[in-house]
Amino acid sequence: MSRLQEFPLRRRLTVLILASTASALLLACGLLAGYQWQEFRGALVREMGPLADMLAANTQAALSFQDAAAAEANLGALQAEPKVARAAIYGKDGARFAGYSRDGRTEPPKAPAADGYRFGPRGVELFRPVMLNGKRIGTIYLDADLAEVYRRLRIFAGIGVLVLVGSLLFALVVSAWLQRPISRPLLELAETAGGIAERKDFGVRVSADGWREIRTLKDAFNRMLDGIQESERALSTANASLRQEVAERRGAEERIRAQVARLEMLNRITRAIGERQDIRSIFQVVIRMVEEHLPVDFCCVGLLDEAAGTIRIESVGVHHEALGMAVTADANRTLVPDANGLVPCLQGRLVYDAELRGLDFPFPRRLAAGGLRAMVAAPLLVESKVFGIFFAARTSPESFSSGECEFLTQLSGHVALAANQGQLYAALQQAYEDLRQTQQAVMQQERLRALGQMASGIAHDINNAISPVALYTESLLENEPNLSARARDYLGTIQHAIDDVAQTVARMREFYRQRESQLQLTPLQVNPLIQQVLELSRARWSDMPQQRGITIKVATELAPDLPPVLGIESEIREALVNLLFNGVDAMPSGGTITLRTRLQGSGAASAVAVEVADTGIGMDEDTRRRCLEPFFTTKGDRGTGLGLAMVYGTVRRHGAEIEIDSAKGQGTVMRLLFPVPAQAAVATAAPEAPVRVPKRLRLLVIDDDPLLIKSLRDTLETDGHQVVAANGGQAGIEAFTSAQARGEPFIAVITDLGMPYVDGRKVASEIKAASPQTPVIMLTGWGQRLVTEGDIPPHVDRVLNKPPKLRELREALAQCLAPSAPS
Amino acid sequence: MALLRSPLRRARLRLALALAAAAAVAAPLGGAAEVSREYQVKAAFLYNFAQFVEWPARAFPTADAPLTIGILGDDPFDGVLDEILRGEVLHGHRVRVRRAQHEEELADCQLVFISQSEKPRLARIMARLAPRPVLTVSEVAGFAQQGGMVNFYREGSRVRFELNPAAARREGLRFSSQLMSVGKIVESAPGAH
Repeated sequence: MSRLQEFPLRRRLTVLILASTASALLLACGLLAGYQWQEFRGALVREMGPLADMLAANTQAALSFQDAAAAEANLGALQAEPKVARAAIYGKDGARFAGYSRDGRTEPPKAPAADGYRFGPRGVELFRPVMLNGKRIGTIYLDADLAEVYRRLRIFAGIGVLVLVGSLLFALVVSAWLQRPISRPLLELAETAGGIAERKDFGVRVSADGWREIRTLKDAFNRMLDGIQESERALSTANASLRQEVAERRGAEERIRAQVARLEMLNRITRAIGERQDIRSIFQVVIRMVEEHLPVDFCCVGLLDEAAGTIRIESVGVHHEALGMAVTADANRTLVPDANGLVPCLQGRLVYDAELRGLDFPFPRRLAAGGLRAMVAAPLLVESKVFGIFFAARTSPESFSSGECEFLTQLSGHVALAANQGQLYAALQQAYEDLRQTQQAVMQQERLRALGQMASGIAHDINNAISPVALYTESLLENEPNLSARARDYLGTIQHAIDDVAQTVARMREFYRQRESQLQLTPLQVNPLIQQVLELSRARWSDMPQQRGITIKVATELAPDLPPVLGIESEIREALVNLLFNGVDAMPSGGTITLRTRLQGSGAASAVAVEVADTGIGMDEDTRRRCLEPFFTTKGDRGTGLGLAMVYGTVRRHGAEIEIDSAKGQGTVMRLLFPVPAQAAVATAAPEAPVRVPKRLRLLVIDDDPLLIKSLRDTLETDGHQVVAANGGQAGIEAFTSAQARGEPFIAVITDLGMPYVDGRKVASEIKAASPQTPVIMLTGWGQRLVTEGDIPPHVDRVLNKPPKLRELREALAQCLAPSAPS
Repeated sequence: MALLRSPLRRARLRLALALAAAAAVAAPLGGAAEVSREYQVKAAFLYNFAQFVEWPARAFPTADAPLTIGILGDDPFDGVLDEILRGEVLHGHRVRVRRAQHEEELADCQLVFISQSEKPRLARIMARLAPRPVLTVSEVAGFAQQGGMVNFYREGSRVRFELNPAAARREGLRFSSQLMSVGKIVESAPGAH
């Protein structure tokens, strides 16, 4: 078919007509031949059946009597029948009994097949039974060939071919005449269409003649050409407008792309500056990115100095180093907006100088000198207030597009916002830091309050506990003239230590009570104090380090003839011990601690300096600044953070100053400067005359601590008094009332404040109720507090602190008894 | 036919014949195994003669009277014939066998086989049987020429037979043409009867 499609139309039509004719003829011939073939075969079978029956009848006797010769003779009669090619007779047992072959070459089958006939390629084969008296006595075989049929078929085929050829020749002639009215107009149409396709000339038309269908086709073709011509015209118009639109779109897309690129850069810049908090680094990053990515040749940022009304260049880009140097040089750094045409910018508008050359302003001139030709100045606005200007410049004139100007405006908006944000952030940070410190202070106060409460309990117990020690020591020193010099020395040290303990305990409350000490400052010499400090702390700086194999040397450089200073001996001593301990702690691998005293300055400004210098690890700047804060420690869990704070408290109470010279690895010098008082104040208070206390007073001592009772009684009895002791408040009251009832009343009552069941206040009120004139002296571990808080209970004449001092006791007794009962 | 002439072909043919005879006398023969192949063939031929011969109606006393085959003298078939004929029906008559030493006993037979043993009495026997429609069969040489109807003879190893259609026609019997195509036709010798 594909070959056929390539043929010209005329030949193709002819071939189609011939092919249909030929196939009709062939079909007829084939049917006829098939019918003939079938018919002949039927005839053959019909002919062979009786022939076989006849042979069978004639062969009965030959078979019965096994007379092969007779059978052969019977078969030999078949010579007269040319259709029979072969024949045979088989006995009852199936063995071939007699055979016949017309050509003498092909032999009949050796054994019979089933009865009936069957068609083979050469003809028909037939098997029939031979019957006698109702019994089968053998089989007869006939093979008739189809040679005759084939002969006839050949003749038939010859005739068929002749008819076919004749018909085809006739059809050829007819078709040549028939195909013309169809093929001619089609060829015309094809030629016209081809011409149109080639020349694009849609004005051509075909003639409208021929058969009806052909005319319709041509009409349709012409109408189609009309339509095509029209739409072609419309199409070319549309195409032109489309092309224009595409060009416009492309331009717009180009602009959008640039816009997107700038937006992306804006985004990146925003992100970058979002990560920064301080203005300067924000400016730096913006300048760098604009210079690199917009790009521009030069960039800088100026900040408005509101007071002066000038602009100061703060940050400069790195692209144009020489220009950057020139712009930031001190002489050029400050711009006056009026003189530089920047006033609109300060009013919040973008200024664009498309050509710098020829402008008579100093800043543009400087830029032009650096080779720049176009400049944009964008205001940095926050809440409609300009605080700076962002400058961008390029080396070619008129090189900033409106899009870029827009971009720079937006960018400066972002930068301004970020800068503002940075400032807000810094303020916030500051506020947060303040808040944090306040919170910490509050927390520390809270801790101090808790600590104070605890300390006051401890103080009470300690005061009670050391009272006997203090009393006995004082009594021994006073009343035992026979003591050896050494014993006296030791007892003196004990007394000092007890005093220090009492003072320390008394001072513990200073941690939570921001109040000036009530103690009186007394003139004192610092050099002996230094000696005492060394003695008291020897264990710490000598023995303990040695156990760890560390040697710490302690040296003193004491200036002689120092003026006395006003102070509390125990506090200063305590402070110096603290400093000494710090020095030891700062020298984990040994070193030297030097204690120095000297007079510094002269006249009213003169001061006694006491230095504790170590050769230890020193302090860095931060530590040095904070070391005086309470609870600040570098010693981890070992330190309380209170040592230097306490020292500082002491220093402040004495109106003194503290100086710290230290550096990491350089050791530390702590220097206390005590002002030298005017001569008048220094007049050493005359030693108090021994108080005269009347001998043999009858005294009642009430306490719940047996040790205290015993020590008090012992010391008071040594003074010659008659002492009755009562263990506990109730017992005291009873002893007092019973003695009064007996007529031998007590001259005075000394009672403890804190006792179980009946405390000192109760005792005092009971005694005053019984005998208003009898003085009541109260001893208390909380004495200092009572005094300072003005909380002297009613009915109490005098409050004494524990540990009591004999001198104070005597004085109190004397004072209480002086007005009323001098005996 | 050329093939058939080869010795192998002939041997085969013989074997086929023997098989046909064996099939005719049926397998369970008992003592018949001793009966020679010749008599087996002859027994079968006797039966075949009855098939190819037409008797006149007067040969049977009644329409359904049996067709009796008589054996005169010594019986050479030894039961083979009985086996062949058992249950057979020919021309509408049952077939039976009767043996006798004397021809009078075989008066109602339609076929009489005259054994070799009766050769000496042949003339007398023929005279007695002659006026009746009886097919006479024998194996005595010259029997057919002496007025007998059918006589066996040997041609090499094969059993053949002579036919005397004139003698048969005389008694009203008729040989079929097929029978005559396989038998040898003879005529009575001049002087006999």
